[in-house]
Formats: sequence, structure tokens, C-alpha cells
Amino acid sequence: MSSIVVLGQRQPRVDGFEKVTGQSQYADDIVLPNMLRGKVLRSPHPHARILKIDTSRAERLPGVVAVATAKDVPLSRYGTGIQDETVFAVDRVRYAGEAVAAVAAVDLDIAKKAIGLISVEYEELPAVFDAHEAMKSGSPLVHEELHTYKHLPLFEPFEGTNIGYHFKLRRGDVEAGFAESDLVLEDTYQAPMAQHGYIEPPVAVCWFDAQGRATVWSPSPKPFTLRAQLAAALQLPLSKIRIMTCRVGGSFGGKGDAKLEHIGLALARKAGRPVKLSMTRPETFTSTLVRHPATIRVKTGVKRDGTLHARQMEVIWNTGAYCASGAMVCRNSGHSAPGPYKIPHVKVDSLLVYTNNPISGGMRGFGSPQLTWAVECQMDEIAGRLGIDPIELRLKNAVEEGTLLYDGQVAHSVGLKETIREVATQIEGRRGRLAPGRGIGVACSQKSCASGSSSSAFVKINEDGTVIVMSSTVEAGQGSDTVKAQIVAEELGVRVEDVVLVAPDTDITPYDMGTVASRSTFHMGNAVRLAAADAKGKLFQLAADRLEANAADLEAVGGMVRVKGSPDQGVRIATLAAASVRKAGPILGQATYIHKYEAPAGVTEMPSEPSTFYVYGAQAAEVSVDLETGGIDVGRIVASFDVGRVINLTTCEGQVEGQVMMGLGATLYEEMLVDGGRVLNPNFRDYKMPTMPDTPMISTSLVQEPHQEGPHGAKGIGEAVTVTTPATITNAIFQAAGVRIKSLPVTPEKLFWALKELKTPGSAEGE
Amino acid sequence: MKRSIDLLVNGQTCSVLVEPWWTLKDVLREQLGLTGTKTGCEEGDCGACTVIMEGKAVNSCLVLAAEAAGKAVTTIEGLAGPDGLHPLQEAFIEFGAFQCGYCTPGVLMSAWALLDENPNPSREQVRDALAGNLCRCTGYVKIEQAVLAAAARLTPAVTGGVSMEGADTL
Repeated sequence: MSSIVVLGQRQPRVDGFEKVTGQSQYADDIVLPNMLRGKVLRSPHPHARILKIDTSRAERLPGVVAVATAKDVPLSRYGTGIQDETVFAVDRVRYAGEAVAAVAAVDLDIAKKAIGLISVEYEELPAVFDAHEAMKSGSPLVHEELHTYKHLPLFEPFEGTNIGYHFKLRRGDVEAGFAESDLVLEDTYQAPMAQHGYIEPPVAVCWFDAQGRATVWSPSPKPFTLRAQLAAALQLPLSKIRIMTCRVGGSFGGKGDAKLEHIGLALARKAGRPVKLSMTRPETFTSTLVRHPATIRVKTGVKRDGTLHARQMEVIWNTGAYCASGAMVCRNSGHSAPGPYKIPHVKVDSLLVYTNNPISGGMRGFGSPQLTWAVECQMDEIAGRLGIDPIELRLKNAVEEGTLLYDGQVAHSVGLKETIREVATQIEGRRGRLAPGRGIGVACSQKSCASGSSSSAFVKINEDGTVIVMSSTVEAGQGSDTVKAQIVAEELGVRVEDVVLVAPDTDITPYDMGTVASRSTFHMGNAVRLAAADAKGKLFQLAADRLEANAADLEAVGGMVRVKGSPDQGVRIATLAAASVRKAGPILGQATYIHKYEAPAGVTEMPSEPSTFYVYGAQAAEVSVDLETGGIDVGRIVASFDVGRVINLTTCEGQVEGQVMMGLGATLYEEMLVDGGRVLNPNFRDYKMPTMPDTPMISTSLVQEPHQEGPHGAKGIGEAVTVTTPATITNAIFQAAGVRIKSLPVTPEKLFWALKELKTPGSAEGE
Repeated sequence: MKRSIDLLVNGQTCSVLVEPWWTLKDVLREQLGLTGTKTGCEEGDCGACTVIMEGKAVNSCLVLAAEAAGKAVTTIEGLAGPDGLHPLQEAFIEFGAFQCGYCTPGVLMSAWALLDENPNPSREQVRDALAGNLCRCTGYVKIEQAVLAAAARLTPAVTGGVSMEGADTL
């Protein structure tokens, strides 16, 4: 490898100028000739039979061009793990907020008015909202035909129940493990329904051209998944659908499924004109995806010296009315549920349960935030009971290079202990002498990355030596465009500003599994690097003739192909590319990257669904609690994470800081309040997300334990931090106040009652 | 019924026909094509639609277009001058004070209004001034750094800005 030129620096983002000047084009900024505006009519009931839909008054309103209901689309179901969703509700609605009908009109005012003119007769049905109730026999069934739906082979729904999937993890003998333990602790933790909170509400611009091809402009982070869902929902061949992604105003997992695009296409087809459909802020709460509410029971057996010996977990995920990516959340988080520790006896049962609530799906961390919160809170309880320092307890049990992981693979690229020590160093000397009401807490975590997925890329070299990269990783703010440009620039020896990234377009850019699961730097980073190397090989062949040198002795540096060790013997890439266009065709590179796990010599066990890698890390929080009122102030967060290798220091830090704040919101403020299936706080006034004054001092420290297969050793950092923050802050609050709140968010009110109970047991009627 | 109003946007007078209930945000985006002003919540909670009106940062989703008639409005499209980017914009790029970029125009306009009124703000004053602009991506740390750095550059005599030295943790 040539010397590193553009990696690991503070590289200004390639999308910087357009974003600070307001020129970035998001879906809502697209205007097509003759475009209509759409609006969706949504169910007010969580569970009801649709007796009659009368759209005639809406259709007669001047300015209305099309009204669509379930009658206007094929009777076809789509979904990621279990195909249970339809474009519009068919005969019955299963959650308040489900699409029942939609209107396309010449402007939004008329579309809104027309929605009010559609009359729907419902017969309300018994509904179920609590996942535990939904698991009982005799509970209302959310999907009576659940067992007949198509699903991935892995996910087997249970006939006649509301249970969509049961994930099981078994290692050793957990009962024997408990019997051999000196201390067995059991706790139950609750995590609430939460919202992704992206600032850009979902928008879709949909159009059928004269050939009957559908084009959709969407902020989807998974354009190929969206294309497949639209094909299934509307029964169209893939060749008839083109997805073009725009700039994405945040997603965090919330824009991964078709929620507007199929409705927009139904309207566009009926109207014969393009349609823009956008969600209001309340619709983003009721009718997109939310984070799964979960109940997590953790039982841990531990030896007197702090050695973890057995851990059993029972998790119930309330997935709402439809599965979305819920089954994947249940499975993927399950593989690493017991935490980044060496535990010989492990048993995990994770259940996905349908209810008549809004749809739960993946949200940054994909189940791991909820599970890690429970496990890491209990780690502190164990430390307290055994009188062991919480940091020492974690170091003692931490996963290391070579540990056999729960998912069956052998751990590699494990900087966990280093991150814990880094955090310990930064809070050293502060823990022992804290005033009453002040506390420092720590937690650590591991976050998996999607297994068995592929990424591909094309690279074209222009005649002037600049480079075009075509790939389908979606820039949703995380900085992937800049990272891709850096990796390609490094490989080809050109400047970052000479690399152009083509926006994902299913007609043009090659398949990618999706911009999810912290996977893009690793998977797409490899794909663009290999595609650039493919193009470089062709440049070297051309240069070898001109320079009368061996291709193996060449390097690409500073826009030149040179003979290694002889910097004056070289030829410009532009010269080679321009000559090739005429004589041999353009210089094109292509590559696919698929992670293939190979067990080290001597290991016979093969994993079922190995994570591509794990991101390990540790955090500390310093808080003060008002012991009278329960008021909480987070003063400082220290975050140390093992990213494998830093590609862009600025965006890497930005990921850490943003996730700390998302985690802080999850810990202290954020909860969707749902009563009878109806969301009570579907707006940013009543659903509180952190603002700038809430930001504590955040110290970021990046550990670099290179991954042998990562591009330049890099892994990913998109989710791991926000997984750790809730337990970190909750543990600090425990240290400060002496009470442990076992349901998120940890509000001053909950603390107030718990403190009151602590002072005078039996007095806290609020709890 | 629609009526004609004159808006003074980014130094240019524009005549537009508006309904009485249309907001300044909608007219900027839909009638004038100034799509840098973003739709986030339409209830004044998120700040993505922030523009400057008569020198003050306002949520343009809460201002009726008719109210803005004859008043000077500056949007993100008017922030850069003929000589290039505003120091705030330069600092946002240098510090990486944005990610998805959707809240960024609103944040920049709020920051501009702050520096216009108070060229040398304290850290606390920056945090207060930007409290109405939600950002889900950045965690706000780099926004604060960028605004303080831009303030220091705009008023070179004042010290106390943030430099990139010391921000490195590797």
C-alpha cells in the first residue's frame, strides 16, 4: 500500500457547500411539470372493520384529479421479514394512522379539503395494545391469517396467535450455570415506544411515464428494498420501477420501508400525472415506524470474584400492527443480547408480538439500545452487590480477540478493554470524592453489523483524470459520500475534490443491501476501493507500455502513475484515460464486496448468522441530581469507541456526538405516549428531543483496532454509541441518587417518587 | 381570495398572489422557488424554516405571507455575498457542523441573527439563541464550535473563539 494521503484527516465534507447554501435537493424540493399534491386519509381507530368507503363527494370537488383506495391496487402484501402489509387497509384497519384512502389534487389545500369529504363507515373491533396481553390465548388477533403470509424461511409466525417470531439463543446449560453461581440477580426493565425524530418528514414524488414506468424520488436509505416492496405491493416487474434517492434529511432507520411511495404511485397512475405526497409531523409519529417498546427480563449468575457465569434473557418486543423490520430487530439484537462478555452459559428467548399500536421497526441500534440498557444497568447492580468496581467488573469479563462469541464466530478487532481503560483514565480521580447528588456511571456495549450482505460499485475515469463513482450507499448525513470519495482518492492517487459521487438510482447505480446497520464504511468502502483498484489495474497496464516498466512496479500518486522509487518516471492519469477512450475504450472499474466469515484453524463451530464485525465501546457520564425535586443535569459524557480505523476524523466525531445526544434524549426525555392505540404526543412540542442547551461536554476518544477485512482496517460507527448512552446515564443517576429507575425515560418525576420511597418507605403512592 | 403582495426577499422585490392563510414559508418555497427554507413541523417547534425578517430570526411557518408584505426577508439563499460564503457558512464546513443538512439553513439563519445583535456571544448565549433549532444528527457540539469560531473571525479584535487545535483526540 502506498503512503496514506487522504485518510484519517479532518476532511471537509464533499456535500458541505450545497448544504450550507441551502442548495441540497431533498424530495420536497422537487417540482415536476403538471405535478399534483396528495394527501392520505388515515384510520382514527386502532382496530376496526371497514364497512363502507364513500369517495363520491371528494371526487366531485373541483381540483381533485384522483381518489384511491384499496380497490385501486392489487390485493397484494409486502414486507421485509413477514409480508403482512398492504398499500391501503383492506377490509379492516389494524392501527390508528393506517392509510385508508388518498387524494391527488391540483394543490394541497384542495387535497386536504377532499380528504375531509371521504366518509368511511367503521365497525370497531376489540383491540390489544399490551404485548403481554396479546400473547395470552383469547386475545384479539391482529392478523387472523398470519400463518398464511409469505415470510423469510427464518421467521415462522405462530398460527392462531399474535406471535410473529421467536428467536432463541442457547449456549451451555443456563440452569446448571445458575446453580454453580454465588449470586443470582434477576431484574425486569422497560423501554418505551420512541420516534426517530429526523427533521425532514418523509416525502415521495411519484410518476408514471408514457411507457408505464414508475419513477419515485424518495429519501429511502434502502432504494433496492423499496423497489422490491413496491414491486410486490403493486405487482410490477422490477424493470418498471426506478427509485432515485435525493438528499435525505435524516433517517435513523425510520425511512426504510414503503410508507408513502406505493400510495403516491397508486395516485399517479390513476391521475396520469406526477404526484408529490408528504407527511405532516404528526403523521411521522403515527404512520411511519417507531422504536419497539420492549420488556426485558435479565437473570444473571455470577461468581463471588465477579466472573459472569450464566445469563438468561426473555425479551418481548411490541411490534405494533405490522412486522416491518421487527423480526430482524428481534433476531439481530438477540445474537449479542447478553453483552460484550465471556459467559459460558447463555439462554435468550426473544419474542415479536403484534398489537394494535403504530408499527415498530428498526431505529438506530436495531434493538441493541433496549437490551444493552437492561444488561448494563444490571452489571452495575452486580458490581454493587459484590462490592466490585463497575469498571473492574467489566474489564474482568470483557470479550477479547479470539473469544468465541454467542453468534458462533471468533471475535476479531476487539478494542473493548482499551475503550474501557480510556474512559477510566478520563474519569480517574473524580469518582471517589463526589458531593451528595453527584454521580459518575459507566457502561459498555457491542453493536453488530448486518451479516451476509453485498455492496457493489462502478468507477469511471474521465478523460481529464477525474473520477466518477456509482454506488448505492445513501448519504443521509452520516458522511458516507465523503468517506467513499476519500477511499477512492486514496486508491487512485487523485484529490478528493476530483471524485464525483453519483446519487443512488436503481436504474444506474449497482445493488447495495442498504444504508443500515453501520455497514457502509466497511461494505461499500471495500466495494469502492476494489472498483477503484480494478480501474487502477487498467491504468497500470496502459502505463506499463509507455513507461517500459512492470505493472507491478507502478503506483498512483498525485494524479500520476509513476514507477515506484523513480518519481520522475511517470505519466498523468488524464493522459492515460484520454488516450484509452479512443484506442481501447474508457477506463472502467467494477467490484462487489461480500463478507465471508472463515473460522480460524481449530475452530469447528460455524456461526448461523455471523455479524460482519462488532463495534465495541465504553462510556462514562457525570450527572448531578437534585435530591429534593429529582431534577437531572448531565454535565459530561466521555465516549470511547473502537472504530477499527478512522477514515474522516471530523465525521467520525460527529457520529459519536450526535449519538450521545440521541441516547441522552432516550434516557431522559423521549417516550411516545399511547392511549388505546392513539398517540397523545405526536409533535416536537410534547415529544421532547434534546436541544442545544441540553448538550453536556462530550469527550470523544477513538480507539483504532484494525479489522483485517475493513477498508484500511475501518469498521463503522453509525449506531454503537447511542446503544451505550442510556445505561451510562442511568448508572450515573444511581450513583448520584441511590435509586434505580428500571423504565425509560428516567424522568424527574420517577426519580422524585423513588427518592421519596427511599426516605420513607411506603410513602410513594405515585409509584 | 388571493391578493397581491410585495415581498422584499434577499434584496429583491417580488410580487406574489397569495391566499390569506398561506405562510411565508410556503410562499418562499412554492411561489418563489427558494427551497433552502425547510419544512419540518409547520408548528414552530423545530426551527428548520427559520428566516430573517426585519433583522430578527422568525419561524417562517408561523408568519403569514401577508404579514411579511413590505418587510425585508433574508433566506439561506441570501446569506452568501458576492465575495463568497459568509464566515458562518465557512465555519460550518470547516468544523463539520452539519450532517444531513436539513436543519442547517435554519440554524445558520438563527446564528446570523444572533451575531447581528451580539457580535461577541458567550457560549451560553449561543446555546440560548439556537435552542429553537432542533438538530437530530450532530449533537450540537460542532454547531456551537462553528458559531463561536465565526464570531471570532467576524470580530477579530475579540479573542476566545475555538480553534481546531486541541479538538483533535487522536
